[in-house]
Amino acid sequence: MTMTDSAPVAVTEAAAGPEPAGAARWVTTNDCRIVGRAFMAVSLVLGVGAAAVGVLTRVERLDPSAPDQILGGLNSWFQMWTLYRAAFVLLVVLPLFLGLAMAVVPGKLGADNLAFPRAAQASFWAWLIGSLIVVVSVFAGGGWGAMDGVTAAERDAMTLTLLGAGLVIVALLSGAVNLATTVISLRPAGMSLLQVPLFAWSMLVSAVVWLFTLPVAAANIVVVYADLRGRDPVAFGLPESPGIWGQLDWLVEQPAVYALAVPVLGIAGEIVPDRLGIRLDRRGAAASIIGLFGLLAVGGWSQDYFTAPADHRDELLYVGVGVAAVVVVLAFCGALADAARRGSVRLQEMPSSALAGSALAVVLLAGATFFGALRVIKPFELLERSTTTGVFNAVVAAALIGTAAGVWHWWPEILSRPPSESRGRLAVLLLLAGGVLLAASDVIAGFLGAGDRPFVGDYDSGAVGGLNAVAVAGSVLLVLGLIAAAAAVFETMRPDRPDGPGAGDAAAAGLLRGAGS
Amino acid sequence: MLTPGFKLFFGMFAAFTAAALVYGYASGGSHVGPISLGWKGGVGDHIGYGVLVSLAAASLAVSLVLVAFRDADSEAQAALSGADGISPNPAVASGFWPVAAAFGAGTAAVGLVLHPLVFGLGLVMVVLALVEWTMDAWADRATGDPAANRELRNRVMAPVEIPIVGALAVGVVVLAASRILIAVSALWAVVVAGVVSTLILAGAFVYATRPGQARKLIAGLGVVAALGLVVGGVLAAVTGERDFPHHEDEIHSESGAEESGAGDGGG
Repeated sequence: MTMTDSAPVAVTEAAAGPEPAGAARWVTTNDCRIVGRAFMAVSLVLGVGAAAVGVLTRVERLDPSAPDQILGGLNSWFQMWTLYRAAFVLLVVLPLFLGLAMAVVPGKLGADNLAFPRAAQASFWAWLIGSLIVVVSVFAGGGWGAMDGVTAAERDAMTLTLLGAGLVIVALLSGAVNLATTVISLRPAGMSLLQVPLFAWSMLVSAVVWLFTLPVAAANIVVVYADLRGRDPVAFGLPESPGIWGQLDWLVEQPAVYALAVPVLGIAGEIVPDRLGIRLDRRGAAASIIGLFGLLAVGGWSQDYFTAPADHRDELLYVGVGVAAVVVVLAFCGALADAARRGSVRLQEMPSSALAGSALAVVLLAGATFFGALRVIKPFELLERSTTTGVFNAVVAAALIGTAAGVWHWWPEILSRPPSESRGRLAVLLLLAGGVLLAASDVIAGFLGAGDRPFVGDYDSGAVGGLNAVAVAGSVLLVLGLIAAAAAVFETMRPDRPDGPGAGDAAAAGLLRGAGS
Repeated sequence: MLTPGFKLFFGMFAAFTAAALVYGYASGGSHVGPISLGWKGGVGDHIGYGVLVSLAAASLAVSLVLVAFRDADSEAQAALSGADGISPNPAVASGFWPVAAAFGAGTAAVGLVLHPLVFGLGLVMVVLALVEWTMDAWADRATGDPAANRELRNRVMAPVEIPIVGALAVGVVVLAASRILIAVSALWAVVVAGVVSTLILAGAFVYATRPGQARKLIAGLGVVAALGLVVGGVLAAVTGERDFPHHEDEIHSESGAEESGAGDGGG
């Protein structure tokens, strides 16, 4: 056992062992780029699935007389309704940003890898396993509550959904801590935090916001789990609506819903000036705006479940945060508009998907915060209306468009070849159209009295029924947009054959792009 | 100079000792029983206390060996291998332990609903993966040479890993094979045992005669055989045992009847 008995030349290349190849490399690697790509690839697939679930729930709502024609009953409808929301938060948007940041941020800071490469690997696999548990358990009768009573088996499945969601949250938190540590500790010497690239800064802010948000959701899950596993659910774990979902719905409402979109500002803050060939004026102010928006997106305090009948949402703080968010995002829009004014925007030329996508994502986010501000103003009485879902859909669409813009802009860090520009524009256009139609129909329906909860409120009157049809079209466009983005990304994610026709294209295109910028 | 290997194992000794004391007192140990290893009083639950004390003793022994022979000492290792010392930003070796930790966490989550045994299995996976993960992380920063680091890590962990993996493999093979043999009929049990033994003998013969050429083939066949054994064992366990004649029960019941009859008669 003693090494002093060994010859000094004992350490050879063979001792280091060969690096695995193929599928084994994907499983065992802790390379931040591969882990980031894996996060994004799986998130895109899950995103298509979640958007398809959204289409089904929208189609079901077209016929108010029978909520069981497609999905098979009120409980199934509620499961899909909650799955759509929870999946877009935990299984799609947050991991998409996490994957993009893992692939891009270390390179921007001059680092070879993340601060904790193995933790990144573990966070991806734990997130993947947790996601599978969530999806399988929901389709096995679980989910985040029910509207029409539950059997013992369904209660077990609900428990499994909660545990899967808990595992997903732990994995996302691990990834967020990893990213924050990378930005803080691996940046070059002499570079202050406010000087790091805006996307890296926005991910640091997002990580902090998620650290303030997701543990609260995990605590909610623990409370529900403990009560649900008891002999008789007392109060917190009542499977029937609003028992379980009522404790988690704050995640998809203001202000916590804005935590999904903080990186959008960082993406646009980098891409727009870069594509216009200028430097962002008052960069420190832009970074401060991102930080302020992150501060306004901390939302664990606003949940109303434990304070009923008193409601935090009636207080001035809640209203003030909701109104301040729109002001902050509009200020960032102003910074981007100033960049566009000073840059070389030519309206007769088709903008690149990265430039158009990042700018449109911020505009859509501004729209979301505007309707969010209307939602919190008391006289409108929109808190329990479908406006809530409208704001959520707008934020999600902005996040998806922003991520697509980031992938198309930083493709050398993520893909093997440049993705098709026309497909990028198509994906951005479809996602934008889908997000706008979904958000607008829900917001307007909210003003007309449509409730946010399933089959609650005036959801089937003539005007609202028409808006439901518009929402169906919007959700279909969202699915198509995600499919277009996923197809373009998957096609270019595969490495070229060394002797294939595309060999060297990536490097050449990278050089051209570098020269152009 | 205390070597890194000594620090690691001495830390484990301290942790296991503390765990043994806590467990001893928590499970009913008397005032000085757990401190005096049971010499002056009870230690609580003997099995758990004994396992923890044994682990502490083993860790202490390994730590003393490491510091006495300067094994797993990164500076000495670097000097021997001619490496440039410890890199400030070392490359992190790839591995599957983080994946195993994630699978363990998922298994534990599912086990909370399905069965406590599954939950325990998941926890064991997590703990094992974290121990291996810790050792990998330590080895990454030991010297500036990745090959030397891997060698260093293997020197410390291989004496622990190989016996554990061997014991697990033997346990799985024995368990799975026994489930299969008691699930099929007596005749088929003989046939299965004969065929499997013949296959093992043939594989070993081929490997011995052509070690280089047949290595991949044997490895592939080994994986297939292991999977078949595990799947077959699970299926056999689900199916249940075949009907065995219960001679002992009959004897017991007969003798019991006789005894009760005698008792009645005597009464």
